[in-house]
Amino acid sequence: MKRFRSEISVGFAIVVLLIVLAFLAPSFFTRENLTDLALANMPVLIVALGMTLIVLTGHIDISVGTMFAICSVAAGEFAKLGLPAWGAGLAACAIGAMLGAINGALVAYLHIPSIVVTLAAMVAFRDALRWITQGAWVQDLPANFQWLGMTQAASNTVTFLIAGILAIGIGWGLRNLPAGRSVYATGSNANAARLVGIDSALVTFSVFTITGALTGCAALLNSVRFNQVPSNAGIGMELKVITAVVVGGTVITGGRGSIQGTLLGVVLLGIVSPMLTFLGFSAYWERAIQGLIILCAVGFDAVRSRLGKYAGDFAERTA
Amino acid sequence: MQATLPNAPHKSWRERWFPNGEWIVLLALLAEIGIFSLVAQNFLSTTNFLEVIRLSVELGLLALALTPVIVTGGIDLSVGSMMGLSAVVFGALVMDQHWPIPAAAVATLLVGCAGGALNGVLIAEFKIPPLIVTLGSFSAFRGIAEGITHGAVNYSGFPKSFLFLGQGYFLGMPAQLPILAIAIAGYAVLLHRSVIGRGLYAIGFAGNGARYAGIAVARRIGLVYFLSGLAASVAAVIYVAHLGQAKSDAGTGYELDAITAVVLGGASVAGGRGTILGTVLGLFSISILQNGLHLAALPSELTGILTGTVLVLTIAMDRFRAPRKISLEEGAIEMKNSQVAILCGAILLGSLITAGANVWLVKSLKAPAAATTAAHIPVIAVMPKAKGDPYFVSCRIGAEEAARELGVELIWDGPTGLDAAKQNEIVESWITRGVDAIAVAVENQAGISTVLRKARQKGIHVLTWDADAEPDAREYFLNQATPEGIGNALTDEAARLLGGKGDFAIITGALSAANQNQWIAFIKKRAQEKYPGLNVVTIRPSDDDRDKAFTETQTILKVHPSVKLIMAISAPAVPGAGEAMRQTGRKDVDVIGLSLPGICKPYIKDGVVQTIFLWNTKNLGYLTVYAGTMLSQNKIPPGAASIQAGRLGTLEISGSQIILGAPLLIDKKNIDKLDF
Repeated sequence: MKRFRSEISVGFAIVVLLIVLAFLAPSFFTRENLTDLALANMPVLIVALGMTLIVLTGHIDISVGTMFAICSVAAGEFAKLGLPAWGAGLAACAIGAMLGAINGALVAYLHIPSIVVTLAAMVAFRDALRWITQGAWVQDLPANFQWLGMTQAASNTVTFLIAGILAIGIGWGLRNLPAGRSVYATGSNANAARLVGIDSALVTFSVFTITGALTGCAALLNSVRFNQVPSNAGIGMELKVITAVVVGGTVITGGRGSIQGTLLGVVLLGIVSPMLTFLGFSAYWERAIQGLIILCAVGFDAVRSRLGKYAGDFAERTA
Repeated sequence: MQATLPNAPHKSWRERWFPNGEWIVLLALLAEIGIFSLVAQNFLSTTNFLEVIRLSVELGLLALALTPVIVTGGIDLSVGSMMGLSAVVFGALVMDQHWPIPAAAVATLLVGCAGGALNGVLIAEFKIPPLIVTLGSFSAFRGIAEGITHGAVNYSGFPKSFLFLGQGYFLGMPAQLPILAIAIAGYAVLLHRSVIGRGLYAIGFAGNGARYAGIAVARRIGLVYFLSGLAASVAAVIYVAHLGQAKSDAGTGYELDAITAVVLGGASVAGGRGTILGTVLGLFSISILQNGLHLAALPSELTGILTGTVLVLTIAMDRFRAPRKISLEEGAIEMKNSQVAILCGAILLGSLITAGANVWLVKSLKAPAAATTAAHIPVIAVMPKAKGDPYFVSCRIGAEEAARELGVELIWDGPTGLDAAKQNEIVESWITRGVDAIAVAVENQAGISTVLRKARQKGIHVLTWDADAEPDAREYFLNQATPEGIGNALTDEAARLLGGKGDFAIITGALSAANQNQWIAFIKKRAQEKYPGLNVVTIRPSDDDRDKAFTETQTILKVHPSVKLIMAISAPAVPGAGEAMRQTGRKDVDVIGLSLPGICKPYIKDGVVQTIFLWNTKNLGYLTVYAGTMLSQNKIPPGAASIQAGRLGTLEISGSQIILGAPLLIDKKNIDKLDF
């Protein structure tokens, strides 16, 4: 049970919110609403999978929103060049991986703090994109771009499948593969990891690259839901993603956390905003309530760990 | 003196003055000054430097407050939001409660202290990581500010004596300069000359070690967050005095700029390193870069690109220097030859780009300079509200057309997002640069009017377009449509489609957007007066994001099944709502709004979007440059009843407004004829 300590408090918060909804706004639980919500939060989820890896290694990436915009525009432009949707998607992933690799190289091999590198990348690439596109949207996309050239339902299924495979794959790999364990090792103590033969620089470089590729994938899956691509996508996305990861119990200093926690974090953040609409709150108070719910979720966890500190956490902390 | 090895006996002067390699930033700063002196007009002047300082005060206060926070290894993302909350509290106390200014200011500072203390307690007492706490209060503070004001209230009309603090001159220098100077001195003493300061470095260097050495770690950490809340509220009061307005969006995005300044100044985000001198250097290297780019009429987008590059390069150079010291205690980070090679390559590449850019800069500036000696080419500076917005992008096409036709030089620059403070900054730089006419699409009336009046005093012709400033701050307003006209047209169309009665929902841009809030007020008024059956069920924000408008529309349809019409009044929101309607297949719900034909075309043709309204944006841009040129050549006599505006023909002048014409109703029938 101790392993899932922080997951429990987030899960508890979700259950409370759902019970409130079940009594006050049962229409929230229609199949259509849940599908729409899941689809709308899919990009955040996919990027959050990568972000979990980065935070586990003790780093952070605040350039994901910018990368998301670049990959969206790139996917659209490649589709206009005549590539089929999956080809455009691969190209978007490749571009995302490349941008992630630049971040990763600067962090892992030049030892520049990740928050500095990705802050610079966020600002510089966003302004570069603005300069190049001049704010224009990518329009007149080929007909086989929207819904990946399939029906809407089929495309939604594909989206859910891809997200599910990625979440399960990364979650499983993180627990069971040597590569996954070395992510935890690097985040717990990079030097110790190096001494037991883990190339911690390579691990760091890889998690940034993977996150870039995942961002490209999220950008494609989001873009195909529409028939034009705006050039200002993903503003503020980094905050949503990081919030979901840390609310899900991944420790910001690295080494502790899990994919299932991140899933719960995404779910919690994903239902708060529509829930407030369903309950009839004015939009003007939404952001304040969102902030308070986040503070409560992490505060609750902190209070619990303070109370439980002398009861038995000592063993865990010294282990 | 910080974080070096305790037994290092001798220190060179360089290490004593610049313990964290701040000299690199100093060099960058000097290089900026050197380059801009050559390429930017009127850059090297006392007035310009005083203006740069004035514009740096708010950001400077935040950066100063963040330095000790970062030295302890923490971070505070909530400072920008705290500015918004403090500004709103201050505005409400002064304008609504009629408190005297000093009392309101004190109460505002108390709010800042309370917010800072909240962060401090959660971080120091409950041991929640600072990033998470301040991420939460980042949303909460801004959210409370929006909640109090409903995002819409914009307090202005503060007394002149108060505005002096932000706009006036005291002994020849900007009035807020002493506050910045006191803050710098105070923080320098706190950090470098006090026991508390030494404790902060110890905490950042090794938290547990500091505790064993008897430092009250929790209390010290609480103190720095408390001070950062206080500094943010001081910055908010100055911001209000500077812009003459208090609104919930004050200080948006300042936290990142402030962190950039601190990190650029050599502070380590891992804690234990950082100086006030470095922060001040970092601050000015950012603000001088912005100022220089404006004066050289280079696009604002370069600011982000260059700041990012400079940030990474300075830190990389610092790393290049650092390993020797670190490798004494652990062999871990010894530099390999390959890494040195990568680094040298990166620096070489960077300097090549810089050199190339310089050559291009000098070239691009020589041409007009040579021409001006022959015959004076009027320089018309036009500012949109936000550069990347598709609406303004299409205005620009018309503006460039007019500039080509008339042979004038067009400077098109503005904030990259809606930002009243940035608009003032750019107008200031245009005054310093000396242009012939300035045309501004005003984001905030009270805020921009002071600086526009200053421009008029200097003999620059001033126009406003898209949205107006105070009437005495400009010569003409190019009126494309009044807020009332827009509100009425939208409401009438909604009534026509709904048959005079029914529920509808509004999707706006940002909740704090001034234009949209004006339209909403007129929409409600019109519905109340003329169509008692029409009912606004809900108003939802889209933050000018197509995807968010899409999701909001889906939710509205489910929560309010009675809604039969969606009115989207932000350009990207109409395609978002249209796509949602197409995917849900609700044929009984109509979509109307205010948007560009280009991005709505597929939806109007499909029949999911019925009608959109807009004036011809290209013509608006064209008219702006045309009228600006005519004014600068004194071709509009006072009291003229009309002007001849090139291909637009004769346009009526009513009072001091030039009327572009009624808004266009765009639907299936005429969409194919429009090309913007």
